[in-house]
Amino acid sequence: MLNSRTRVILWAQWRSTRNRFPRANQVGVAFTGIMGLIWYGLFGYLSVIAAYLLSSPSELPSLGGAIPGALLLCFLYWQFIPVLTASMGSSLDIRKLLVYPVPRGSLFWIEVALRVSTSIEMLMLLIGAGVGLALNPSVPIWAPAVLIPFVAINLLLSAGVRDLLIRLLARKRIREIVVFLLVLCAALPQALLLNGPRGRLRQIFSGEPAPYWPWNATAELATGKFSWFSVVTLLLWVAVVYFFSRWQFERGLNFDRSEASAAGRSSSRGAGLLEWWYRLPSVILRDPLGALVEKELRFLTRTPRFRLVFTMGFSFGLLIWLPMAFGRNASRHSLLADNYLTLVSVYALLILSDALFWNCFGFDRGAVQLYLLSPVKFGVVLVGKNVAAAFFVALEISAIALVCALLRLPLTGIQVLEAIVVSFVVMLFILSIGNLSSLYNPRSVDPSKSFRTAASARTQAMLMLAFPLALIPVALAYLARYAFDSEWAFFGALLGGGVLGGIVYSYSLGSAVRASEQRREEIITALSRGDGPIAS
Amino acid sequence: MSAAISVRNLRKVYGSKAAVDGLDLEVPRGCFFGFLGPNGAGKTTTIRMLMGLAPPTSGSIELLGLPMPERALEVKGKIGLVPDESLLFDHLTGPEFTEFVGRMYGLDRSVARERGQELLELFELDSEPRKLIGDYSKGMRKRIAMAAALIHRPELFLLDEPFEGVDAVGARLMKEILLEQVRRGATMFLTSHVLEVVERLCDRVAIIQQGRLVLDSTMAELRSGSETLEDIFVRAVGAERPAETLDWL
Repeated sequence: MLNSRTRVILWAQWRSTRNRFPRANQVGVAFTGIMGLIWYGLFGYLSVIAAYLLSSPSELPSLGGAIPGALLLCFLYWQFIPVLTASMGSSLDIRKLLVYPVPRGSLFWIEVALRVSTSIEMLMLLIGAGVGLALNPSVPIWAPAVLIPFVAINLLLSAGVRDLLIRLLARKRIREIVVFLLVLCAALPQALLLNGPRGRLRQIFSGEPAPYWPWNATAELATGKFSWFSVVTLLLWVAVVYFFSRWQFERGLNFDRSEASAAGRSSSRGAGLLEWWYRLPSVILRDPLGALVEKELRFLTRTPRFRLVFTMGFSFGLLIWLPMAFGRNASRHSLLADNYLTLVSVYALLILSDALFWNCFGFDRGAVQLYLLSPVKFGVVLVGKNVAAAFFVALEISAIALVCALLRLPLTGIQVLEAIVVSFVVMLFILSIGNLSSLYNPRSVDPSKSFRTAASARTQAMLMLAFPLALIPVALAYLARYAFDSEWAFFGALLGGGVLGGIVYSYSLGSAVRASEQRREEIITALSRGDGPIAS
Repeated sequence: MSAAISVRNLRKVYGSKAAVDGLDLEVPRGCFFGFLGPNGAGKTTTIRMLMGLAPPTSGSIELLGLPMPERALEVKGKIGLVPDESLLFDHLTGPEFTEFVGRMYGLDRSVARERGQELLELFELDSEPRKLIGDYSKGMRKRIAMAAALIHRPELFLLDEPFEGVDAVGARLMKEILLEQVRRGATMFLTSHVLEVVERLCDRVAIIQQGRLVLDSTMAELRSGSETLEDIFVRAVGAERPAETLDWL
């Protein structure tokens, strides 16, 4: 049972969550509700299907072989999807709770329970499977209960992995290496499916299951095939992941973020190169715009959260799209291969969008007051932010092109030009919407926390609607290229799109400036807010 | 009776820099102790270590005669904290926050709610019970932190700049409450940049500079000389230099 302090923490979190709602936008809340209903409804449906199939004695023998693979997928989803989506779910804000007389054990178990929030989908499927097995007369009555230790393994391991990742990501230099490795892990399944040794991959899911893995041991027992080896295997796994996650949690409790960030300093040569990069805008632009852009470059380059999305921008997209464009079955001159650089560049815009476009004052938080008080027109501040975004987008495209060149992918000058022009036309439209969104829906973001979703429900909704809209002019340009079979038509249409984007940008900038005057107080208040005892 | 705070050879190293470097400190029970130092001297790091928010690199801490972190749970139950603002929960209202803190310190729900209400009235935070802490002014945030710190009648208070941003009326009220707590036997460990406040409230003062203790004395001893606390502070931290003028200023 929950002890009194655990109940208090959960009560405070419930109140914190409830207190957000009356002030939140009703459309955003409704959108989140609808999307959640569709998403979880889908998994609810799959859960019912699982229950139906597993409850049938005639279906079970044919399904038996697929159960270990299904449990492995469930395990992988539970452990890796939160990492890949950079959404680590709800977690305790340990720093705020450490000052109270709460036993560490209680905090640990709350933290483990909160891991449910990262993969409710998998829990739904396992519940469905459990119900199906319980209704199946050919399965012993105890069999469905073995899914409980499997869930415990997933929860405990997920908590341990999260604590480990958070500490690694707080350390300079190590953080970048970890992110790169995570990106490689993300692309691995797809790369293996398209290019890897097929036999071996198939064997993982369809071959003779190795009995020492928890998903295999669980599958054996859940289908009623009792063996002491499987029981011991499962219990050993529970014990191992318990000690691992407890160890990581204790290390997390004693972890001092200041200490970690103090370690490691860049070399003077690297610092010199960075200084050149920081000073670049001031060479081209006059103050105050130059100073604003320079500040953004300095600030964002030093922000762990931004560095993470920037690294993902040129690595994640490349790896995700690479097998599809240049995989074993792909033609060297397919639509994907011919437009690979452009595709990855536009995808990078999507990854960068939350940090650079939709909520561009999020990292500034309380400091946004300076912009509102300084004797600089607010329009100039917004343009400064947008120019800095353009600098980073240009750098991102250069990084993508460089990696493509290093990988010896087919790359021509015209393709690089196309990627740049397309990205900047798309960016003009995104900036137009993003400037308004940054002022109408500002949200404070902790720049030091790499693994928290920054976007609010409303922002996510806007992202889903705005991004396809921003792509329309570019899509029309590609249509023109296809229809007229002419590069002139393509670049002409892109130019038209750019002009239209410029007009839309100019108009939205004026609206954003007016919004900054009318909503000054709301903006400052929204950007100054922090979290509850449990942050999501 | 053991000291309220006893710190031996305390060190906290960040990278290659020692934020706190071999600090020895003894705060007697029932004392109003002022802990001073220039910016970056190691005050906040020390108070974070005392609160259990940062583990020391080496050295030992005893609070109310109990070793930290071995008896941390017992110690935390006897401490009242007025920390920096980041430890408040912005999406709770004042009554919700005081109730939360009271219950975290083991008070019954009804007692926590009742005491919370009384404290909010005392600190004049009861007029808008539905207002979120995130919408509070800086002074209100310090007052709610102080109200929450008092709810379980702690024996030791760790106060990090408690008067920062508080208006004169609020500050006076807070000072009176703190002095009353000292009279009933509680111990205060106060960091503040406002030397006048320290001079008026504290009966013992320590000054830290570059992580090391450079002065530890009673207020009575300091008052016996002709210097003000400001003069003593400036001399102790080695900041005596002629005011430089800038041509353009």
